[in-house]
Amino acid sequence: MIRQSWWKILAVVILLYTFLAGLLIPLKPGIAEVTPRALQAGTEVELTVTGYNSYYSKAKNELRAWLKLEGDVVLKAARIEVVNDRTMKLHFNLPQYLPSDSKDDACSLILDSPIDGAIVLPEGIALTQDSVNLLEGKKLWSADKMDQLNVGPKLTFPYRSVLYETIRNQYFHVPLWFAMIFLFMFSVNFSVRYLRKYDPDADLRTLALNRAGFVFGLLGTVTGAIWAKYTWGAFWSWDVKQNMTAVALLIYSAYFILRGAFQDEEKKARLSAVYNIFAFAALIPLVFVIPRMTDSLHPGNGGNPAFGGEDLDNTMRMVFYPAGIGWTLLGFWIASVAYRVEKLQQKLLDA
Amino acid sequence: MNFFTQIGILLRKELVLELRMGYAISGILLYVLSTVFIVYAAFFQGVNSPMLWVTLFWIIMLFASVNAIVKSFVQENGARQLYYYGLLDPLAVIVSKMIYNISLLFFLSLLTWAALAFIVGNKVEEFSAFLLALFLGSAGFSILFTFVAAISSKADNNSTLLAILSFPLVIPILMTLIKLSVVATGMLEDTGVGKDIGILVAIDLVLAGLTLVLYPFLWRD
Repeated sequence: MIRQSWWKILAVVILLYTFLAGLLIPLKPGIAEVTPRALQAGTEVELTVTGYNSYYSKAKNELRAWLKLEGDVVLKAARIEVVNDRTMKLHFNLPQYLPSDSKDDACSLILDSPIDGAIVLPEGIALTQDSVNLLEGKKLWSADKMDQLNVGPKLTFPYRSVLYETIRNQYFHVPLWFAMIFLFMFSVNFSVRYLRKYDPDADLRTLALNRAGFVFGLLGTVTGAIWAKYTWGAFWSWDVKQNMTAVALLIYSAYFILRGAFQDEEKKARLSAVYNIFAFAALIPLVFVIPRMTDSLHPGNGGNPAFGGEDLDNTMRMVFYPAGIGWTLLGFWIASVAYRVEKLQQKLLDA
Repeated sequence: MNFFTQIGILLRKELVLELRMGYAISGILLYVLSTVFIVYAAFFQGVNSPMLWVTLFWIIMLFASVNAIVKSFVQENGARQLYYYGLLDPLAVIVSKMIYNISLLFFLSLLTWAALAFIVGNKVEEFSAFLLALFLGSAGFSILFTFVAAISSKADNNSTLLAILSFPLVIPILMTLIKLSVVATGMLEDTGVGKDIGILVAIDLVLAGLTLVLYPFLWRD
């Protein structure tokens, strides 16, 4: 029994691991909010920084902060006042002139702590000056250097604005869709086999795989919709990706209705096999081609970057790839159970 | 008999049958005219909206197409199917039906356009673009509905089944067509027209290819 079902045990182990690691590993410390966002040159300013997953009070005296302009020009914070783990106040003495040839500029904020590591708030703060003096500005801003930045905690997921904790959906939504595609691919394979050999067993396998795939498709859509609520603002925003997904699910529901329309087993099997191949060929362009070509909010579509690069770091890969394998194995497990139920029902009907 | 002769003969047969049983085609014509009239009475009194015009145009076309095509396999009863089976190439049967349905739907769409223009007023400004949309639309509708009608004709309550099976598949075609037609009314400047045409052509080709591959499995009983 163990030899037969080792992959089921593997599925459980992998999914347990992805649930635990995917939900428990914290996000990288980040900067949630900085106020004020507009600074005037030649003044003494106090920036209130609100951190996310940060431990400011632990690193009290070793905290450092810089304002950074283009070309590695930095200004170190004169004084740092830690209120609690999540809040601190930074005091900057802004020089009279900016090292810039226009009156307006933007800078980023960089924090460094031995506990949280170096954190960047990119291009978040506007700077203005009354008059332009490039040479003087360069001289005034040349005093400070940014060096010996700390590396933060290793075992974290990336902190991304807009996404925040929803980045964990990567271990549910995406693998569910992978698993669905695998299930549907195998079901098409069995449909083709049915049309070649007219083997009733292949028809039952197609049905079971489609059932499991359909459930995974529904779950993928629901997890996507919940994610969309927190990132796009609504569960369903009539985005092209969502619409085409709904269409794809409708096409597959029509498969189950089609099966119900026939009494004759052979006819049912043959026509639903034909329709199943047709449905899969419609699914791929609907969900994976059209959204890529038109305007869509979905990552990887409509010119949006897919998850990759900095959004998918090595810690995420450690969870994401096993999650894909785990959900796929679970899908095939469900399909094999559905197949056996179908088989037993047939046996009962024949007896 | 070679393939193309078979197609020619089948096309002529379809046309002769259509003209001989005049009620089918005139029924659809009447259907289009009365729907346009209802649509005018319900939506357009004192309203001038190209978007609404385009949307209703395609919805009228959608239902007219379903009605026009659902009979294309229903009229072929079992005995005649058997006769074809012994005589003809299945591909010739499906290709002739597709060609016939494309021309029928194209004619029907021109008629719907004329009726809407006559009763509601013409909103189309770029005629060539709209004609292209009409052609691609009738091609997509007829390929899809012909294939699905071939499946559903094997079941008993086949007109319901036709709608259930084909409407999800027709949504992407319909959405792209509406977008393309809105551009043709001059209401929207869209630089991505080429892409939409590309999507439509691609969908039509995929559907046609699948139909050709899968029909031989469908037709024997």
